[in-house]
Amino acid sequence: MNTNVETFKYDNRIVRAFGIVTVLWGIVGMLAGLLAAVQLYLPEANLNLQFITFGRIRPLHTNAVIFAFIGNGMFMGIYYSLQRLCKARMFSDFLSWFNFWGWQLIIVAAAVTLPLGLTTSKEYAELEWPIDIAIAVVWVAFSVNLFGTIAKRREKHMYVAIWFYIATAVTIAVLHITNSMEMPAGWFKSYSMYAGVQDALVQWWYGHNAVAFFLTTPYLGLMYYFLPKAAGRPIFSYRLSIIHFWALVFLYIWAGPHHLLYSALPDWAQSLGMVFSLMLIAPSWGGMLNGLLTLRGAWDKVRQDPMLKFMVVAITAYGMSTLEGPVLSIKTVNSLSHYTDWTIAHVHTGALGWNGFLTFSMLYWLWPRLYNTKLWSTKLANYHFWIALLGMMFYIIPIYVAGITEGLMWKQFNKDGFLQYPNFLETIVHVVPMFKLRAIGGTLYLVGTFMMAWNLYKTAKAGVFEPDTEAQAAPMEKATVATGKTAFHRMLEGKPLFFTVLAAVAVLIGGLVELIPMFLIKENVPTITSVKPYTPLEVLGRDLYIREGCLGCHSQMIRPFRSETERYGEYSKAGEFVYDHPFLWGSERKGPDLAREGGKYPDAWHYNHMDDPRSTSPGSIMPRYSWLLTQKLDSASIPARLGALRKVGVPYPAGFENGPAQKDLQAQAARIVANLKAGSVKAEPDREIIALIAYLQRLGTDIKSAPVAATVK
Amino acid sequence: MIKNILCGIDGIGLYGVISICIFFGFFAGMLLWASALKKNYLNRMAELPLDSGELPKPANPEIKR
Repeated sequence: MNTNVETFKYDNRIVRAFGIVTVLWGIVGMLAGLLAAVQLYLPEANLNLQFITFGRIRPLHTNAVIFAFIGNGMFMGIYYSLQRLCKARMFSDFLSWFNFWGWQLIIVAAAVTLPLGLTTSKEYAELEWPIDIAIAVVWVAFSVNLFGTIAKRREKHMYVAIWFYIATAVTIAVLHITNSMEMPAGWFKSYSMYAGVQDALVQWWYGHNAVAFFLTTPYLGLMYYFLPKAAGRPIFSYRLSIIHFWALVFLYIWAGPHHLLYSALPDWAQSLGMVFSLMLIAPSWGGMLNGLLTLRGAWDKVRQDPMLKFMVVAITAYGMSTLEGPVLSIKTVNSLSHYTDWTIAHVHTGALGWNGFLTFSMLYWLWPRLYNTKLWSTKLANYHFWIALLGMMFYIIPIYVAGITEGLMWKQFNKDGFLQYPNFLETIVHVVPMFKLRAIGGTLYLVGTFMMAWNLYKTAKAGVFEPDTEAQAAPMEKATVATGKTAFHRMLEGKPLFFTVLAAVAVLIGGLVELIPMFLIKENVPTITSVKPYTPLEVLGRDLYIREGCLGCHSQMIRPFRSETERYGEYSKAGEFVYDHPFLWGSERKGPDLAREGGKYPDAWHYNHMDDPRSTSPGSIMPRYSWLLTQKLDSASIPARLGALRKVGVPYPAGFENGPAQKDLQAQAARIVANLKAGSVKAEPDREIIALIAYLQRLGTDIKSAPVAATVK
Repeated sequence: MIKNILCGIDGIGLYGVISICIFFGFFAGMLLWASALKKNYLNRMAELPLDSGELPKPANPEIKR
């Protein structure tokens, strides 16, 4: 027994700072979500401003909620629990504050650039390359601080929560760097290093595991810490928590391809994604049951303590969404659910229920302790709980109905064998009432968050903030000899670096098995000779398509179902996307698929449709893009754009961008202007709309011009 | 499709065997190891969050740390 007890202080300032911004950014993120939700039934709610139009505000909403609200909540919880579990102050106060201010600057940069349309278009990784570098730097600072604190800990054993934090730190770094490999074409524009199918696989390997290792593993660590604290009893089964951890980190990384079922991704990768997704039910439910069973004999506390109420719903929502995720990964179910609002309902069960409620729970628990007082109003916290729960139900249930309705209507044939609803618009107009109900749900949830903000503010006013908390512990004993069957695990815990390497191997093995064959085996992406690189004008048009976030509502991936080929044309092939940096398959249909849009309508139709979608498609919920008609095309950036695209592998001839490209661009623009004139539309050749029309008219025409079977090499 | 792609590799049949071994080995090893952990050790670990080492504060006894 070591009698040399040391006195030290836990840093509460950093916890409070992250707590305050969690609430503030939470409100911002939810407001952005509400604005996006309202635009789905009232497109004019964008006030005809490009900066707050759905396509740009949706990524702002997702980024704000994931990285600003939940991200700051995660840091708050980790900075509080890590110090206490290690019985040590954070390794470096400087790194703590570097982490804090760096993260807030990144969020502000996102809040400015996304409305400006500066985006890579890759979901949850939309931020442009300078911000990507900043994210990597701040993440490294956080990781050094995390490992530094673990290294100087006074408690020899690493509690399971710390394992989850380590897995988070390592995996997010790997995911972020791999998915953000891009070639700059100026300060605010870049092209993904990967093309088409490969880009899709890397993106969803990232996208799925961002959910896993940003929204799940750190929050599971927080659950394993805060639930026993609040319940006043240890976790139900520590053994189960060990199995939960290793099984989860081993299995999670394989499941990414379930986002690409029935797409042009090779079938082996799709099947791998589906099988591993199904296996994930076991560890996920193990974790959920471990959480809920911790409250055995303490359910009376749940009645009294709003913090525990939030926690119970959070854990239940974790269980529900981790059951639903695997179900949605079954190919048969996915054929109905993919591209519909079902997916949106699923992610909101996780975001509103699991992450949101767990964050609220932590805030209600921490604030009175940081200010050394009682919560200002337990009654108000209870009201918050019920209004947030009601809001969640009002959000999720109508969107489930909408999603399943959309899927069924898209697939419905009449008795003569034709599509029952050949006009896509019919299907979307049908579910607009559900969109309205969803906005009500979102409003209720937001009102609840305001109630919490007020409650926390009043709690802070009533108490006295404690910047540091004094604690005592003996320094870690060195060289204890472990014996028996627990020796290996003790050794593992005693060596955080070795533990980290093992966890990293468990995590990475799945990613490597999926990604390496996709890049090394050429047959995974059969080339099609008639597929050619985009012309300079089409490149500009494609970049406008990315800027406006068109892929937020329009997919470019026709699945091999008769209901899709009847509606959109020939199903999509892997070889069609070899010059697509980045891929633009999308994940959601609020409008029709555009993979075969080229040549379907005259140029003038597109012009009028962009000016006012309801003039060509009465009842459409697409916003007006009238600014495209007046804003000048940025043709001066062509050399930088084509140069960057060549560097990532698009075979433009040498020197093409320096002269021939401009001539090519002008000639194609002049042809479109002539076509518009024939359609009674007068337009200038140097406007953005011309480039967008050029791109839309190109879509899918490569394989329309030549029979596919004859041209596959 | 995967058969056509990979069948050119010598000894490809072994890949599947290795995969199932890694998989089975990982889970079997983990479950065996977890089941062999001693009760005392598990109890001690589970108690960790409840002992934060903070000094008691007389100011507000209603707050449980």
